[in-house]
Formats: sequence, C-alpha cells, structure tokens
Amino acid sequence: MSLDATNELGAQPRRNVSELQQSGKIKPVPFRGGGFVHSRHRFIAPILFVVLVILWEIGSQTGFISNIALPAPSEAAGAMSDLFETGMIWNHLSASLYRLVVGWSLGSLIGVFVGLAIALFSLVRAGVSPFISALFPIPKIALLPLFIIWFGIGEGSKVATILFGVFFPTVIATYGGVDNVDRNLIRMGQSFGLSWISIVRKIIIPGALPAILSGFRISASIAIILLVAAEMIGAEFGIGAYILMAGALFATDQLIAGVAMLSVLGLTVGWLISRAEHMLLSWRA
Amino acid sequence: MIRTTRRTALSMFAATAIGLVTAAGLSTAAQAADAIKIGILSLTSHSPSIIAEGKGYFTEQDLAVEFVSFQAAQPMAVAIASGDIDFGMTAISGGLISLAEKGAVRIIGGALQETPEISGQKILASKAAYDAGLTSPDKLAGRTYGVTTAGSSFHYMAHKIADKSGFDRSEIKITPMQKVPAVIAALKSGQIDAWSIVPNIAGALTKGPEVVEIGKVSDYIDNYQVTTVFTSTKNVTENRDLVTRFLAGLSKGIADYNAALVDKTMSADEVAEITGMVHKYVYADQPIEKAGPRIAAGAMRINAGAQLNIASIEDQLAWFQSEKLAPEGVTMADLVDTSFVETY
Repeated sequence: MSLDATNELGAQPRRNVSELQQSGKIKPVPFRGGGFVHSRHRFIAPILFVVLVILWEIGSQTGFISNIALPAPSEAAGAMSDLFETGMIWNHLSASLYRLVVGWSLGSLIGVFVGLAIALFSLVRAGVSPFISALFPIPKIALLPLFIIWFGIGEGSKVATILFGVFFPTVIATYGGVDNVDRNLIRMGQSFGLSWISIVRKIIIPGALPAILSGFRISASIAIILLVAAEMIGAEFGIGAYILMAGALFATDQLIAGVAMLSVLGLTVGWLISRAEHMLLSWRA
Repeated sequence: MIRTTRRTALSMFAATAIGLVTAAGLSTAAQAADAIKIGILSLTSHSPSIIAEGKGYFTEQDLAVEFVSFQAAQPMAVAIASGDIDFGMTAISGGLISLAEKGAVRIIGGALQETPEISGQKILASKAAYDAGLTSPDKLAGRTYGVTTAGSSFHYMAHKIADKSGFDRSEIKITPMQKVPAVIAALKSGQIDAWSIVPNIAGALTKGPEVVEIGKVSDYIDNYQVTTVFTSTKNVTENRDLVTRFLAGLSKGIADYNAALVDKTMSADEVAEITGMVHKYVYADQPIEKAGPRIAAGAMRINAGAQLNIASIEDQLAWFQSEKLAPEGVTMADLVDTSFVETY
C-alpha cells in the first residue's frame, strides 16, 4: 500500500467530522481522563473514629456490651491517665522504643544490604535466596526459647526477635524492588558507558527505592507486632510487657490502653515513612 | 499432559478453601447434652477430679464429665467466664480476682494446701547463684526470682518470702517468663537466680547439677491455700444443686487421692489403679513405670471435703490489692461463696 493511499483514507473521516459538527449532529467529546485519583478528605477518619468510640461508650454504659467482653472507652482512658499520672508511661515507652529502634534499624540495614547483594550478584542469589525462603516463614516467636539461651533474657533476645522479624521482609522487598527496575533504564545507562557502580548508584537504587520503602512500611508494622512477643520474657517495662501483664490480670481497661499505645506507635511510624517517601521519592512527581 | 492455567489454578484454590470451611463447620456439631466440663492442668494436684470420674463418683451424682486441658491457671478462669467450662481448680491469680469483681467467677472450695507435715512447695536456686552466696531464701534481696506472670502464685510466694525475711518486696527482682518450661530453662541456665515450685517438679530439677533446693515455702507462708475450686457466678446463683453434686463427687475423689498418695493407707493394688487413672492425663507422654513414681512424688495434701482456708484467701486478696494487681473494690464476698463447703 502506498503512502498516498493512506493519506487519502485518513483524510476522509476528518472531512466528515467537520461537516457533521456544522450540522449539529455530533456532540463535542468531554475530557474523559481523570478519575481514579484520590481526593483528600482530611476529617473523615477522625470523625468516624469519634463516632465509633461514642457508640462503643453508649453500648458499654447501657450494658449492651458486657463489661467482661469489652471495657468502656472511658475506663481505658482512665487506665491511660493513670499511666501518665504515675509517669510509668515514659518507662514503658522508652524501653519499647529502644528495642524497636535498635531492632528495626539493624534488621533493615542488614536486610537492605543482603537484598542488594542477592539482587546484584547471581552467585549470592543462588546461594542465599533459598535460605531466605526457608527461614522467612519460621515464626520468630517459636524461636524465642533459643534466643533466650543465645542472647540472654536481657535486651539481647528482645532486640534479636525484632531484628530477625524485620530482616526477612526487607531482604525480599529489596531484591524484588531491584528486579523490577526498568531494564530499559539500565540498558540506557550501559549504552552511555556508565560504570557498574554508577548504574547501581544512579539507576538501580533509586529505582528500587519505592519498593524498599513500602517494604519498610510492612517491616515496621511487623516490628511493632513482634514487640509484644519480644517482651514476653523477663521484661519489667515496655508496652508489650504492660499488655501481657494486663492480660494476665484480666485488667481489660489496661489491655485496651496498651493496645491503643501500639496503634499510636503504628500511626506515627506510618507518618514518618510517608515523610521519608515524600523526601526520597520526590523525583517521581 | 495436564496444563494448569491461571484460571484452573484459581478455581482449584477456591474449591479447596470452600471444602475446608465446610469441613470445619461440620466438625463443630454433635455435643453431649447433659454434661459438665471441668478444666484441668496436667499436674498431679488435679488428680481428684480424674479419680472421681474414673471411679464413677460423678456418675453417682448424675454428672457426665468432660475434661478440658489447659496450659496455665489464667486461661482456665477466663474459660469459666466465657462459659466454655463449668468448674476449675487452680491457684488464685490476679485474673481470677478481676473476673470475680466483674461478677463472672466465684471460689466455692479449697484444694491444695501447704501443711507442715507434708513435704510441700520448694524454693530453688540456680547453681551459679547458690555458689555466689544464695544459700537460703532470706538472702534473696537483690536477686532475680522467676514467675510465670505478674500476679501469679509465684509472685505471691516471692513477696511473702521478702516479708518474712524482713527486706523490702521491691528488692526481689520479679522476672516474668510466661510459662513454667521457660522458667525452668532460665533457672537451669542461671539466667534467673531463684524460683519456687511443687515438689515433684522441684525433685526432678534438684537431681541435676544446675539447681539447688534452698528452702520450703511452708516456712514462709502459714497454711497457704495454694489452689481453690471455682465456678461461674451463674452456677452459684442458679444451679446450686449442680455445684453441690459436683463438690460431693469431688470430695470422694479427694478422699481417695489423700488415702492413696498422701497418707498411703490404701493397698498397693488400689494405689496402682488410681495411679493408672491419673496417668491418662498427667505425664501421659511417659510410660507408666516412669510416670507412676513421679505422680506419687508430687502428692501434696488436698483439703478433705474441699474445705477452704478463708484466712489464707484473705491474706492473698490483701496482697493482690496492696500490689495493685487486683481492683481495690473487690471484697471477699465478691470472690468467695462460703455456703458450699466448711471454712476455717
């Protein structure tokens, strides 16, 4: 088929359209992009939360919710204010934050390094990745008795429990992220004669960063979940120890207060990671 | 060759999931109609109910008994509150008192008690701590003391030792380990300094080189009512007849238990029969030749007729409240119903 022929065919409908528009038989097509974009509703979540708590309080006051099944939010708030009054909250928070920060940072750091090594060197991938798959599903809580023998009942076993819990998802998020970096970008770098280290530093790591950061989001939540398990053994202070003690005493008001502290911790960590995403991934915009 | 496409894989997965859900639904059906459920721990102190069931004392009272096994005292109290079991027998824990305050459970009788003439609970020290000078319980100040959870009987014993020895309760470092095996592991490896436990476990531990006995609990707590019998408040108020029948059956079991294993007034054949019954639930993972002596070694007196030592319960309640491990408003009337058994 010749080029002329295509032009002929292509020109045909255009003429028709202008004719139709003039005769008013065709409507202008509206912009159909957009949609599927999140608009911000700042106040929905707090309002929903307040409404739920009020309903819960009413349910508890009227006896619809039994005191054994769930304490009233006002009782939980009372337990929380007791914590502030006695100053115990700072003991619990500082003990838990120390374990979280040390365990999560070390676990993430080692995890990112091992993840990058698996992603970049086939030999490491062949050797190490089966171990990662084999060890990841082991519940770290099940290993707690061994951790006690290895690391003692002091801070060691607590930090180690969180560290191991954080390490594996970070490794998987990291090498998954590297594997998903656009191959064309890497090939372009190679065409321009960039050195290996330049490609890793300027293309692979920034390209894998979104996946690594969303891995952090998951691993930070896992760290908070494991906090309770880590503080099962020989912990005098800590949010997890507080929750476990409340459970053992069936002090459900303290239990809810402790769980609320974990939630606040989770929200804070989520917000911090959002800030980090905002800063580190500004190139995406 | 069978090819698995994405669609067939998904439908296979869905089919499996549905199958599992239906199977789970079906298996929960079918339950005996007129039964009581008794919560037990795999400890010799729970033998009386097992003996009463084995010898038909519960059947005499028109009770069809089902045993439900627990790992710790605390879940048993919660299970009474939730209505999953009807009767339980364990140490008084902070959880039990808290549930009594909420109107869910009541103590109706006494069971295991420390008496001077029967070898009772032992205070143990790790070898390392013993060598470093922890040779008697009054030297426990500044030492770590293993407990399962805060507000457990171990916690109470530690503080009573401190009271009697004349040092401040806070000088004993209470170390919660959640489970008895974890406490044992920590004591053996010297990560905690001391612990107290019933004689059969203590005996097995002190045979090894890692653990040393340094004292007896009965020297520090007078007539300690270690375990109690409890049921739901609903049973106490609405099913008084059921509770009375249960206690009657249990009392016969207690009498047999004391005669066979504590006072040793029964013939060897009868003792063997009783040990056999107990063995079904206690040390069931060991052959009877091994388990028999261990069951006999752990025998502490259980109060005849499930009598209750009110003075000891009052002391324990006062301790829980002074340590803020139980709500301040709880009274003895919330906790105990004294109308079923003799009290003193």
